Amino acid sequence: MSEVLLQKSAKLPGSPLSRFKRRTGLVLAVLALGLCIGLWLTPYQPAQANFLNRLAPPEPAHWFGTDHLGRDIGTRLLYGSFWSLGLALVVSLAGLIAGTLVGLLAARSGPFPDALLMRVTDSFFAFPELIAAVAFAGLFGPSTVNLVIALSLVSWMKFARLARSLGLTIGERDFVIQARLNGLTGGLILWRHILPNVLPSLLVLWTSSWSRTILAVSGLSFLGFGVQPPAAEWGAMLLDGKPYMQTAPHIMIFPGLAVLVSVLAINLAGDRLRDLLTQTR
Amino acid sequence: MKYFLSRLPGLAFVLLGISLITFTLSYFSPGDRAEAIAHARYPEEIAFPPELLQAIRAEFHLEEPFWLQYLYWFGNVLRGDFGLSYASQTPVWDIFIGNLGETVTLSLTSLGLGLAVAFLLASLAVRHPGTWLDRAAVMLSSIGAAMPSYWLGLLLILGFAVHLGWFPSYGTGTPAHLVLPALTLAFWVMASQTRLLRSFMLEAANQPFVETLRLRGISEREIFFRHVLRHAMVPAMTMIAIDFASLLEGAIIVELTFARSGLGSLLAGSVLSRDLPMVMFLVMFFAVAYVVINSLAEALQAASDPATRTQEQRV
Repeated sequence: MSEVLLQKSAKLPGSPLSRFKRRTGLVLAVLALGLCIGLWLTPYQPAQANFLNRLAPPEPAHWFGTDHLGRDIGTRLLYGSFWSLGLALVVSLAGLIAGTLVGLLAARSGPFPDALLMRVTDSFFAFPELIAAVAFAGLFGPSTVNLVIALSLVSWMKFARLARSLGLTIGERDFVIQARLNGLTGGLILWRHILPNVLPSLLVLWTSSWSRTILAVSGLSFLGFGVQPPAAEWGAMLLDGKPYMQTAPHIMIFPGLAVLVSVLAINLAGDRLRDLLTQTR
Repeated sequence: MKYFLSRLPGLAFVLLGISLITFTLSYFSPGDRAEAIAHARYPEEIAFPPELLQAIRAEFHLEEPFWLQYLYWFGNVLRGDFGLSYASQTPVWDIFIGNLGETVTLSLTSLGLGLAVAFLLASLAVRHPGTWLDRAAVMLSSIGAAMPSYWLGLLLILGFAVHLGWFPSYGTGTPAHLVLPALTLAFWVMASQTRLLRSFMLEAANQPFVETLRLRGISEREIFFRHVLRHAMVPAMTMIAIDFASLLEGAIIVELTFARSGLGSLLAGSVLSRDLPMVMFLVMFFAVAYVVINSLAEALQAASDPATRTQEQRV
């Protein structure tokens, strides 16, 4: 979370927003701790095959069963969170940073660069995420790196639009005009006065961008255009297990459930954050 | 109309941008295009003499600088010539038209199904606010928004095709083949539209005119169906159009999950066989369709919402 939010909460002790942040922080800490403990406790490796125990249903030794190579699905799910959630995090952060830069630049530079930047944004906006990613990853060779590049290329436009429109309204506010009269440079005004005020809304958008990207990463990997199968990405696990789903349904239940629960959790947290931020306005 | 005309220059620029991005993508994609074309023309040959490759490069302007190549290609596109598919040596357009029907059928079926359920759920939720019905509708739409469509597809195959055997799991052809893919996509439409319709209807139900109607003694049922619903339809129409554009995209994953023929399978297939003219055309098609549908939705909104109209006149 940003400094801005922390400063605001310092002024409003016990506000719903600060309570939300405390609780979210706590939940994230518990989840991260749980992940670490899980990785530490599990006796298996994600790529460790055991041909004597293939397609085993959930049992005490393998809580989530084993896949067609006898690999422990629970362990693969834990490692898979780095792929599915981590890659999506990288992509959405790249989008957040690039989009904010473009948007604020458009808002603060004159009308001509603004119009040009926004038309470029619109042009990129036209490409549906999945189409662009399939075309890019397919033509340049399906791989994790190309997946990240492809999704990043089409992830920044929403941030640019929002940052621009917020930047325009905030740029007209009194404290920005005052700052300019005080002789602050354009860069400092952006950094100290405009960015802190656009950041909360951008963060709300970022949560939804992150969850969308999780769906895109796992979906593209499931289609074979993303992370490639031996890796334990959740969508790639589904692709890997698809031929065996009739005999061993558990192989496809858990990775999908992992995607569903993560996306749902991020969406709900984002919705709550948005509600709280609109209330404080 | 005036609103629409004012948007045209921007629209033209965006379409130009789309073509440039598409061309850049193909220009920098790895692989020798001359060899790909030679392979397509003479499928029985394995190696090609350098003179032949040279001739192909000259014919397709492959050695010209980036901008000239772009102009050659864009000129052809403007004339409606999208080139021949490398794979089949037939015009890209014909293959596209042959596959368009399946995707549009799937998208429209899902849209209809999803909208019907969404209207029902949202109306129930708004007419009984705060009850378990309301909460269930909200929960269902949250789950639907987070549901990976390929996974839902697999679950439906497992349940309805493998265990119950009611519907075929893979392929295209009979209407029965359409059921499971349409359900998968409809679930997403239902989720997205229930949420939107509920908030539009709530907004409409909280307008001052609703209270006035109530004071006049008009029944709740009539208020809802004749006034609230109509009021909510204005923003809803735009969102339905936008969702339809996203549906075309969502159809890709679903088509591949269910091994259906259609634009999604066509795109994936041409990408994997490096059929550049086909890929470029499909990428352009989806981008242009998205822009056109969105602009129409915006124009529709501007035409039907008096607030936007007066703003336009003031400008």
